[in-house]
Amino acid sequence: MSKYSVIGTRLQSIDATEKLTGSAKYTTDISFPNMLYGKILRSPHPHARILNVDTSQAERLAGVKKVVTGKDTIGKKQGVWRRFPDLCDEEILCRDKVRYVGDPVAAVAAIDEDTAMEALSLIKVEYEVLPAVFDPLEAIKEGAPLVHYGVELNINNTRHIEWGDVDEAFRRCDHIREDMFRCSSQAHACMETHGAIASFGYDGKLTVHTGSQSPYYIQVLLAEMLGLREGDVRVIKPPTGGGFGSKFELDSAQFCASLLSMKLCRPVKIVLTREEEFTATKRRTPMYYAVKLGAKKDGTLLAKEVRAITEGGAYTGMGATALYLTGFFSSFPYKYPNYRYDGYRVYTNTAPTSAMRGFGAPQATFVGESQIDMMAEDLGIDPMEIRRKNGMAPGYEVPGEAFIGSCGLHECLDQIEERIKRRGKLPANRGIGVAAYGFISGGIFNWFDTPYAFSAAMVRVNIDGKVDLFTGAADTGQGANTTLSMICAEELGVRLEDIRLHVGDTSICPPDLGSWGSRETLMNGSAVKMAAADAKRQLLEFAAAALKPNIVYDLDIKDRWVHLVDRPEKGMSYFDAVKAAIRGKDGEAIIGRGHYSPHRKGMVSPAFSFGVQAVEVEVDTETGQVSLVKATTAHESGTVINPIGIEGQLEGALAMAAGYGLSEELPIHDGKIQNGCFRDYKLLLAPDIPETEIVEVETYEPEGPFGAKEAGEGLTNPTAGAIANAVYNAVGVRITDLPITPEKVLKALHEKKHKKPSEA
Amino acid sequence: MRGFQYFEPETLSAACSLLAKYKGEAKVIAGGQSLLSMLKNRLLAPDYVVNIKGLSGLEYIKERPSGIAVGALTIHRAIETSPVVGARYPLLVEMEHRLAAVQVRNWGTIGGNLCHADPAADPPPCLLALNAIVKLKSRSGTRSLPLEQFFKDYLESVLAPDELMVEIFIPNLPARAGTAFIKESVRANDMAVASAAAVVIPNGKGAKEVRIGLGAAGPTPLRARKAEKTLVGRCLEDAAIEEAAAIAAEEASPTTDMHGSDSFKRQLLQVVVRNALKEAGQRAQVGRAR
Repeated sequence: MSKYSVIGTRLQSIDATEKLTGSAKYTTDISFPNMLYGKILRSPHPHARILNVDTSQAERLAGVKKVVTGKDTIGKKQGVWRRFPDLCDEEILCRDKVRYVGDPVAAVAAIDEDTAMEALSLIKVEYEVLPAVFDPLEAIKEGAPLVHYGVELNINNTRHIEWGDVDEAFRRCDHIREDMFRCSSQAHACMETHGAIASFGYDGKLTVHTGSQSPYYIQVLLAEMLGLREGDVRVIKPPTGGGFGSKFELDSAQFCASLLSMKLCRPVKIVLTREEEFTATKRRTPMYYAVKLGAKKDGTLLAKEVRAITEGGAYTGMGATALYLTGFFSSFPYKYPNYRYDGYRVYTNTAPTSAMRGFGAPQATFVGESQIDMMAEDLGIDPMEIRRKNGMAPGYEVPGEAFIGSCGLHECLDQIEERIKRRGKLPANRGIGVAAYGFISGGIFNWFDTPYAFSAAMVRVNIDGKVDLFTGAADTGQGANTTLSMICAEELGVRLEDIRLHVGDTSICPPDLGSWGSRETLMNGSAVKMAAADAKRQLLEFAAAALKPNIVYDLDIKDRWVHLVDRPEKGMSYFDAVKAAIRGKDGEAIIGRGHYSPHRKGMVSPAFSFGVQAVEVEVDTETGQVSLVKATTAHESGTVINPIGIEGQLEGALAMAAGYGLSEELPIHDGKIQNGCFRDYKLLLAPDIPETEIVEVETYEPEGPFGAKEAGEGLTNPTAGAIANAVYNAVGVRITDLPITPEKVLKALHEKKHKKPSEA
Repeated sequence: MRGFQYFEPETLSAACSLLAKYKGEAKVIAGGQSLLSMLKNRLLAPDYVVNIKGLSGLEYIKERPSGIAVGALTIHRAIETSPVVGARYPLLVEMEHRLAAVQVRNWGTIGGNLCHADPAADPPPCLLALNAIVKLKSRSGTRSLPLEQFFKDYLESVLAPDELMVEIFIPNLPARAGTAFIKESVRANDMAVASAAAVVIPNGKGAKEVRIGLGAAGPTPLRARKAEKTLVGRCLEDAAIEEAAAIAAEEASPTTDMHGSDSFKRQLLQVVVRNALKEAGQRAQVGRAR
């Protein structure tokens, strides 16, 4: 018998048919009897004091049922960093002042969307416009307008990471580089915009249907903000059309719909428009970087010092985590003996910045992988060689921060190097750039202050052998539903079709922190595996009684066959074992429980994935246009549970990360985002995506279920850096400011051409 | 989107009557590829919308002795795949290939595209270079005018509130004419950041006539008339082309936006004009053989 019967096989995603036929019901597809539609009035000013809100005219409009403002709330500020009350800074419905263009001021519930829209235009808000500040480098100066009262120099959060003796190490370096970089913002651009249907009843209980990455977080935060008990808030997560980091904080649709519903005891639905989605939800954090890197002549990296100033926008969100992770990942994936990071997150009067796929690591990787190529060139060392010489390996400890268990970085480097060599000599204006990366498999952060396990699952085996799996994991399209069902099926020894998954309802599923930080496969997967093992153990007790094997034999189940591990032909049907077990338990269904929280795994993550990507580009030296020719990624994520899922993640990540490198940005003028629509926000489309090759390097991670690690976010880390290096290798210009637009390339080419010979 | 009253007239004259009745307060919708996004983004909020997509008799490509006539409701995809267009005006096929996605080309109409008067659209520079003539109809009659006189300002044309575009006429090209369309855009099939269409009509080894249409080069699509003149009677060698491209870029007045500064766009215009001229010249066999 092969090792696994479910894991590693190419199985159709369990929700694919529903989604492809259009029968899956997303939040926007759902409606309830007596339901009202809500709309949110948002600030047109980047910074202003609210002097008065007159809702009387709007309330008189026929069809309007309720208008709420900040005065109708219980006056709390919320945030996911609940351990740090100072970082819970967002009221959602502003009472005193607005801090960015898009900050909510009032919300309306009416009989239809048009009436609600019209009502918004009848709300009279009197503002005292205040001086505003948009750039973090300005906001951090003495005398700059303060976005939040009492937050000096607008410094929202600082993070410091240090090990070794950095200053002493720089004195021992043969060569030191100091470079500046700027990383731009990016929109999550989920196909499904934020939306919620809140139903508060006369029984005092609130039910909210909403696409989410963490139904549990939303349940807790809604309870806090509305003055309800957690148990009286039920969050139901229908299929969710993308999250990418945008859907695990309480948002304006969820909060305003709930508040309106509580006032009316009627269901209220709010779905954000695409423009609101672009301009009034959170986004990837733009960052300024100053980096000093020191090496010995032979390419040994001795010391690195990183300073980052990040544009926080108006609120904290998950930005404080991005601030830490960008610092942590600036050391990745290399063994720096001496390292120092100082990060400052600065409030500005712009749309708040927060988590987005990669969570600070794509920025760090663009910067780090650009600079290591620059260092290699200075030292006359091959870029692959410098990475190999300094790359992390299994068993490495990031001093004081993390322990690297499994690590296939070196195998990935070998695979990529071999493929680059196979390309041979490239035509003019073509170049290949590489970038190496790593990522967490779930964070060991509990700033949310949950008293529950990070993940939990329950398995119930029914009389017909069907298995109910209950878990709080949140599939946002990434495939967690299928992956977790596969883990359950493998552990229990049944087939995928034997699993019936119950997710996305806080009233029946055990809490889970949700789908962020690439944590579901390792953390939730471990809980699912434990629950399935618990159920299997109970089944085997009865099977052992029936089969009466010699006591030295172990029993197991595989593909519905309960058998002696060393004599697989000896056994009984799984279905018979289930019937025997339930009968033996006096008719009680078999219930298995599992949970997972990381213990003694450092401060960051229980496990890390690694990879190397090579991107080949062609640069048009007349127009500056960079075209992607080919992308090859060698990735290791431990045991591959769901191969089709990984391929989807990799291809999707490439499109998203190449967009970050080349075309996506959110230009802001006077505090207003200029391109809040898909015409002007340039997501790369199918014709822009090159041929992609995936090389799966197998490793085994002892901490993960069946040896698995993450494969979700890490893949977005390398691409911008690989493209920057490829552009340099193609035409000799180094772009240090994302995105790498044709105009920047053309300008750099022009400067290079007109450089005096003495400078060349 | 704000609410509006919606009509689906069954005949052209009924459509014209509606436009006359709601003069200035009605908008015409055909494929909807331009209007719907204007409505959704509330850039337009008409009281009345007249859908002419269902009108019969305005979706055709007809060969005439002096050229071809294209009905205003002809979809982009029909032009792209028409053997007649392919044989006589490969320029239009080249252009349509890169106009948005095939889904858009299956809905969008050529007349709707022109009436939207977006300077960054792809058909205008090509049809300008082909000396296209547009036929406009209202209840009071029909008028024809060169496309060059049709565009007035950014998203504005000379189309009267009660007029409909009914036909685009494209005159015959001389036998050895060479044409080319070059577009620079952020993504492969995207709105132009700069585009140029060139038509080169040869006479012996030189150019008898050169026409250059520019896209995303100012508030309206335009002809680079000065640049065209410099090439008449000349061999399209690199120096002549370079000179003309520089002049064309000067004739343009692109504006800075999130996709580039005006000076960057001018540089791009120079590149697309140069490349369009080179390509068209080569196809007309008046350039140096490469």
